[in-house]
Amino acid sequence: MTLTWLGRVALYICFVGSIGGVIEQIVALRHRRASRALWWAGLSLAGIVAAIAVMEFALVTHNFSLAYVAENNATFTPLLYSITGMWSALEGSLMLWVLLQSLVTLGVLFYYRRDAADAVVRWAGLILFSIGGFFTLIMMGPADPFIHNAALVHQGAGPNALLQDNPLVAIHPPLLYLGFVGFSVPFAFAIAMLITGRVQDRWPLEQRRWTVLAWGSLSLGIVLGAWWSYQVLGWGGFWGWDPVENAALLPWLTATAYIHSVIVQDRRGLFRVWNLSLAVATFALTILGTFFTRSGVLVSVHAFSSSTLGPILIGFFFVIVVVGAGLLAWRGDRLRARVGVDHPLSREGLFVANNILFVGFAIVVLLGTVFPLLYQAINGTQVTVGTPYFASVAAPVAVVLLLLMAIAPLVSWRSADAKVLWERTRVSAWAGVVAVVLLLIFGVRRPAEVVAVFLSVLAAGAALRTLRGALVAAIRRGAWRSVLRAPATGGMIVHLGVVILALGIVTSTTYVRRAEVTLASGQSTVVDGQLVRFMGFHAVSDALRSATQLKVSVDGHELRPAVTTYHGRGGTTVGTPAIDSNLARDVYVTFDAVGGNGSTSGAQVQNNLPAGSVVLGVTVEPLLAWLWLGGLTIGLGSALSFFRRRYGDEASK
Amino acid sequence: MKRSVMVSALTAMVVVVALSLFLATRHPVGGATNTQSPLLGKMAPVVSGARLGGGSPLNIKDDRGKVIVVNFWASWCGPCVTEAPNLSTFAWQERNRGVVVVGVVFDDTVSAAQAFAAHYGSLYPSVIDPGGVITNRYGVTSPPTTFIINAKGVVVATLIGPVSTRQLEVAVAKVKA
Repeated sequence: MTLTWLGRVALYICFVGSIGGVIEQIVALRHRRASRALWWAGLSLAGIVAAIAVMEFALVTHNFSLAYVAENNATFTPLLYSITGMWSALEGSLMLWVLLQSLVTLGVLFYYRRDAADAVVRWAGLILFSIGGFFTLIMMGPADPFIHNAALVHQGAGPNALLQDNPLVAIHPPLLYLGFVGFSVPFAFAIAMLITGRVQDRWPLEQRRWTVLAWGSLSLGIVLGAWWSYQVLGWGGFWGWDPVENAALLPWLTATAYIHSVIVQDRRGLFRVWNLSLAVATFALTILGTFFTRSGVLVSVHAFSSSTLGPILIGFFFVIVVVGAGLLAWRGDRLRARVGVDHPLSREGLFVANNILFVGFAIVVLLGTVFPLLYQAINGTQVTVGTPYFASVAAPVAVVLLLLMAIAPLVSWRSADAKVLWERTRVSAWAGVVAVVLLLIFGVRRPAEVVAVFLSVLAAGAALRTLRGALVAAIRRGAWRSVLRAPATGGMIVHLGVVILALGIVTSTTYVRRAEVTLASGQSTVVDGQLVRFMGFHAVSDALRSATQLKVSVDGHELRPAVTTYHGRGGTTVGTPAIDSNLARDVYVTFDAVGGNGSTSGAQVQNNLPAGSVVLGVTVEPLLAWLWLGGLTIGLGSALSFFRRRYGDEASK
Repeated sequence: MKRSVMVSALTAMVVVVALSLFLATRHPVGGATNTQSPLLGKMAPVVSGARLGGGSPLNIKDDRGKVIVVNFWASWCGPCVTEAPNLSTFAWQERNRGVVVVGVVFDDTVSAAQAFAAHYGSLYPSVIDPGGVITNRYGVTSPPTTFIINAKGVVVATLIGPVSTRQLEVAVAKVKA
């Protein structure tokens, strides 16, 4: 019982910190006195850190007196997966969520400690404390992580097999959550600006800083999630338009629209109300996404925990939307800019196009995600919406976005001159033509690939040209290192990352080759130019799992595809693919079946094959590794964007 | 033209509030729903074509006299992932009891479908349905949809959504009784 009470007390302290912060901010706002919000944020953080310490202690020492540990840990769970076990089910994930929320709240209040008397910061703090308080409250009620387990458990159930298969479980969920939680900051500032009516000062740009941080984490989180499912879940696929994947994509899309359109607000003072709406929508979508993931109303491959939290989360979503849209309705008309976009072919005009695409696509994804529910409500039968629907919209959107990336960074504000634009794009246009000709000469004929390469070269050209401009300016000032903080640097590096990512996606999906080969021990075969050799079986058995690995070599590199049975949870058996990856291509090998009786392997048995032979699934995907490389570049660019100088601040530093 | 922000914000609010009320009243996903379809009580349309993964062509007419479970699926379909192991388990259990499971894969590429079948260890054959001809005959709009055909070749049940092994057992037991 000790752990239960220690953990609960820590959670109560965390909650007191949040509520104290809310009250403190209200009092400070009413009486215009100094706020001690930082202390309350510190208290809240201390509370959740203590609670997590209790949980981790219980997990690492396999202390099954907590029901959560008994369900998500086993005596033989290795240290890494014991630690990550904290977020392998709902209750513990909420602890991670609250930890990040507390860190973000403390971070924001500390960053703006000199502006603590500013009403915008006070309101924003108030809202951040309330959000933290809300999630802590859930853990004090319906999703208590510290429920006592009175029964004597000797071994424990262990985490879900898919959650102890890959070290990415330690990175992907925290990054994704950081993205989700991070969007509470622009939301809080949006509400604060709406309440105070101050949309003209520096706050919108400050808001962007935090959005970029959250956006970068979410982007990295999504890419790493794709990497993870590529390695364990699928059959060479990395994205399936699953409801849970869409849940992360939705806020990402609106946030992407936001970080673009807020630049227009900075430079031209336009789109004020629109930007506030995007900030509200983004945060609302993170909560809606959490609802999709946790409520169990949609079928998903990735839903590791469904719960009874559905109504609570949707209620929270409801409150966010009512507050946000209500404030927009009340204040919106007074906050609008007096002027509009002068000319469609101008930087701001293209930003409008960007926003229409991102928000439009978000609506398409949202509709596709909830359509099965709507259909069922009306017709009473189930329907599935999948890749064909989403891909048919995503492909043209992606083409136009690449085109925009190729032009927009080079177009002037207010109105553009076609001649100047051609001057700026000429070099990359010719480079693109050369690339296309080379592709055609080497026999690459698929239209999707050719279009993607041409537009990618153009887009990369635009980004490089902008980067070169920033570098030249920085050198002229005699401080070349200041290029890292130049206004456009982070953004253009992100664009380069997107180009790399796009090339990876298009090439790997257009030129994917799948084959199934049957090999006896010692035999080899050639699949799509790759020499695949099967060299025999290897049995692995330890406390955690028992696996039948195949010794396979692809072009001389040894791979070990396997079928693995994890102990605990009734012995879940999962296929463990093996991947030989380099910059040019990925070879993805799966252990599909074994011939003969194969009684001990756990793999599917094919009686018509001779004993000792195996069926290997071999998938060759060119340029697949570019996806992960692009993802990393995007992360790097976002990190630089956080430290970005405002346009016009060049001289001051 | 100056449109009022207030009007748009309130409109958006009404739409989203309606959406959240709708979502709040949804229930977690259960199994497949047994529905009325125009095919019930009629002779089952032809299911024949090339076998996924190669081999001799497949025709369900050859299995007349057995109970046939026809399952329409595609590799991109999430619920198909959920039901794939159930169908395999069921097919294996019933293989010597006069029950045949046949998959029909539509709206999909052959290579993706093959990889899917291999990954989920399908223990039953599937027919490739290019152009969705069979799918149209059965009036299937969305995978997964499962039909149960009795020994006389008459459609006796239509299940829409991911099926569980138990559900199939109950439905087939009813047919045999």
